Amino acid sequence: MEYIVEKIGMSRTIAVPSIPVTLLKVLDAKVCEVNESKRALVAYSRGKKINKAIAGQQKKYSLSAEFNRFTTMDVANDAVGDLDMAPLGEAKKLKVSFNSKGRGFAGVIKRHGFAGGPGGHGSRFHRAPGSIGNCEWPGRVQKGKKMPGHYGNVKVTVKNEVVSYDAENGILALKGAVAGPNGAMGRVRIVK
Amino acid sequence: MRNKYIEAFEKAQIAEKNVPDFRAGDTIRVAVNIKEGEKTRVQNFEGVCIARRGSGTGETFMVRKIGANSIGVERIFPIYSDSIDSITLVRRGRVRRAKLFYLRERKGKAARIKELKK
Repeated sequence: MEYIVEKIGMSRTIAVPSIPVTLLKVLDAKVCEVNESKRALVAYSRGKKINKAIAGQQKKYSLSAEFNRFTTMDVANDAVGDLDMAPLGEAKKLKVSFNSKGRGFAGVIKRHGFAGGPGGHGSRFHRAPGSIGNCEWPGRVQKGKKMPGHYGNVKVTVKNEVVSYDAENGILALKGAVAGPNGAMGRVRIVK
Repeated sequence: MRNKYIEAFEKAQIAEKNVPDFRAGDTIRVAVNIKEGEKTRVQNFEGVCIARRGSGTGETFMVRKIGANSIGVERIFPIYSDSIDSITLVRRGRVRRAKLFYLRERKGKAARIKELKK
């Protein structure tokens, strides 16, 4: 089962030892179509974007105007209607997928954790990648050489334990961190 | 302002905690649960609160006392942690700042804090 969630932020518990928790809000969603394998077309709300294609889908599935995004995912529902949140109450472990924060074009220190050179004493080697290969043989750079480039803004999936679930407000508290900035939207999938 | 959901999550945990209202300069006694093997016992730590920092469940305070051989001992406690049995306010102090780190450079009489009288 999958759900669409919004990352709220992090907090901690007062137990001994204290657990760092990430809070996620489970968003309301409408199931529009379900097939036998419980793969469904689901509508949810993000922003106010509307166009003729969205309006047409809303009319087709008789949705209200705020449900303006569509996606396919695994659901617990048998029938069309509100997304069934019941399985979240018994969930112990979740796979959480978010787009990580984008760092733009990043150097090798930030992107691959290279050590970098000494700052002073005329070393003239600070944050550069250094040598990238051998000599006349092989005469080329090895494939997969770690170099500067675009870093972040890719889907990152982590497994987290569920600390608590507040069904009334739809707030999930997970142990540990998840990728992405606060306010970002992602998905959780029940593993156990 | 913090997010209302984070605040609600933290408030629910703090709700049962009974912490007296204290600030830097107050003398307080902290009863700490200590686990030794299977047994747990309570140990008191009494001294001047020299700082409070943080908010919500992550809020902590610093207590400074003069230990054996007049060596200064400072401990940092999370206010709402389950490892703290109780906090008692012993004496209110009259101070003019929120962080009393200047006490670390003071010794003996110079490190005293006047009692706050209403």
